[in-house]
Amino acid sequence: MKKENKENEVRLMKGNEAIAHAAIRCGCDGYFGYPITPQSEILETLMEVEPWHTTGMVVLQAESETASINMVYGAAGCGKKAMTSSSSPGVSLMQEGISYMAGAELPCVVVNVMRGGPGLGTIQPSQADYFQTVKGGGHGDYKVITLAPASVQEMADFVGKAFDLAFKYRTPTFILADGVIGQMMEKVVLPPFKPRWTEEEIIAVAPWATLGKPAHRKPNVINSLRLEAWEMEELNLVLQGRYREIEKNEVLFEEINCEDANYILVAFGISARICQKTSELARAEGLKVGLIRPITLYPFPTEQIKKRAEQVKGMLSVELSAGQMVEDVRLAVNGKIPVEFYGRMGGIVPTPDEVLQALKDKLISKN
Amino acid sequence: MNVADIINPANLVYKKNTVMNEVPMHYCPGCSHGVVHKIIGEIIEEMGVQEKTIAIAPVGCAVFAYKYLDVDWQQAAHGRAPALATAIKRLLPDRLVFTYQGDGDLAAIGTAETIHACNRGENIAIIFINNGIYGMTGGQMAPTTLAGMKTSTTPNGRDVPLAGNPLNITDLLAKLDGVCYVTRQAVHTVAGVKKAKRAIQHAFENSMQNKGTSIVEVVSTCNAGWKMTPADANDWMVENMFPVFPMGDLKNE
Repeated sequence: MKKENKENEVRLMKGNEAIAHAAIRCGCDGYFGYPITPQSEILETLMEVEPWHTTGMVVLQAESETASINMVYGAAGCGKKAMTSSSSPGVSLMQEGISYMAGAELPCVVVNVMRGGPGLGTIQPSQADYFQTVKGGGHGDYKVITLAPASVQEMADFVGKAFDLAFKYRTPTFILADGVIGQMMEKVVLPPFKPRWTEEEIIAVAPWATLGKPAHRKPNVINSLRLEAWEMEELNLVLQGRYREIEKNEVLFEEINCEDANYILVAFGISARICQKTSELARAEGLKVGLIRPITLYPFPTEQIKKRAEQVKGMLSVELSAGQMVEDVRLAVNGKIPVEFYGRMGGIVPTPDEVLQALKDKLISKN
Repeated sequence: MNVADIINPANLVYKKNTVMNEVPMHYCPGCSHGVVHKIIGEIIEEMGVQEKTIAIAPVGCAVFAYKYLDVDWQQAAHGRAPALATAIKRLLPDRLVFTYQGDGDLAAIGTAETIHACNRGENIAIIFINNGIYGMTGGQMAPTTLAGMKTSTTPNGRDVPLAGNPLNITDLLAKLDGVCYVTRQAVHTVAGVKKAKRAIQHAFENSMQNKGTSIVEVVSTCNAGWKMTPADANDWMVENMFPVFPMGDLKNE
């Protein structure tokens, strides 16, 4: 067993390692996962730290991603803070369980450190699971709150935040990172230790939890089955109502150099880090280029993008994909200004110069 | 005159257990599910573990098991019950955790979850209802459908070269070190019901004592799916199912 570090100590580590340490520190009860590159360090770090000796957190290597997400379902059904992590092909396997958890109104945290696809694809970084994550993924009408970290510090900070949101809205919550954010090393201050919930605390927060039925209450049943059509519609209306609340309350984004901008780049995760540099390069040339970084991909910062569309001449969505988030940017802008896309695929990460050239070619030169 | 007046306590020979809910069952008359539910209710009452029980329902006819027993339930995706049970029991080791699964759920779509939960020796009990057919979806072939047996997807009988052999998964599970108790029972006679009850109670005690995984296979009838009367289905089961799935303990450690 390795000793955990002191409060507020600055450490150097990978994004994946930060997720593991943050999970232990935020009072996570159970992690269930299956190895897949580029995120295996999460499970490896947990197995090395052995938190079951300190916080009592359960860590288990499952036989598949299918089993992992269903272990998370079982734990979450008991009101426990449960999480899993994987990368794109593994997250595809989990979609059945995520849909069931959405239907059963269960909170959990799923980390996807995206790699290139489709298929077995590549172990190199990608952001091509945007559609899968924010547009559904599994079957049925549901949404998952999606946090997109752009640094190792945010990898650490978003685990506890994701659990808070998951329990507040009784919904699976994603941390959607890419292979770069998972693998790169940066300095990080880990969050302070929070104890795991006692059973009394769970009952207070999650009265629906299946902890065993005392004589004074009816049985708790964790279930997504509604055979009667009106009951199924009723559940859907409850979920949709909750999604509207999420859209109203939980939008997060960051703006850099937007106040006087003529052009805005829209990017999340590692693409946002690249675009931040692009903005600096552009400004050195006298071009007023800003950046909107959606931190929550669902709910999407639609209103803010709409507002900035009143001010700027064009927007460029920059992604490690064939162009996915760009559709949401276009919906927000609603035809007011040109919205173009620049992306690389297959694990290729563009340089800041490359993005600046694309901005010039696709937007600035056409004005 | 009410029920209490008719039944003289001195003459009372049978009383419904208190863990079963007062609701009509959806199971077909003659099906084994109802009897097994009743046994489980009796055991939970007699062991005094109602407040400590977390049960997991499958997909299949028993998907509605949560309506009939007054304990906390989780309903699992098809085949995934042992994965749910794994996490629940590891996080709540003093609880009675059991899954209730049919042959399609446990031995087809959930084979991986079943084998790996057993191989890890999760301290759970698995109640396995084997009636050789998919009842809920209308009588299709199951992994345990006998060779030559007619179902809606084997209308001319299970053709082994085409559809494979019936899977005797309980024999496989008995070979795993994590498994402490494996038995095969049936509830078609009074003696069978009594033996099955003892078996399920033993499995539940193993879970409470964290001794490893216990599996109680109940070879069962699906008279509606088999298109037989309940009595004929019982006879057919004894004659055809028992030679392939023989009664008795396979392992008891």
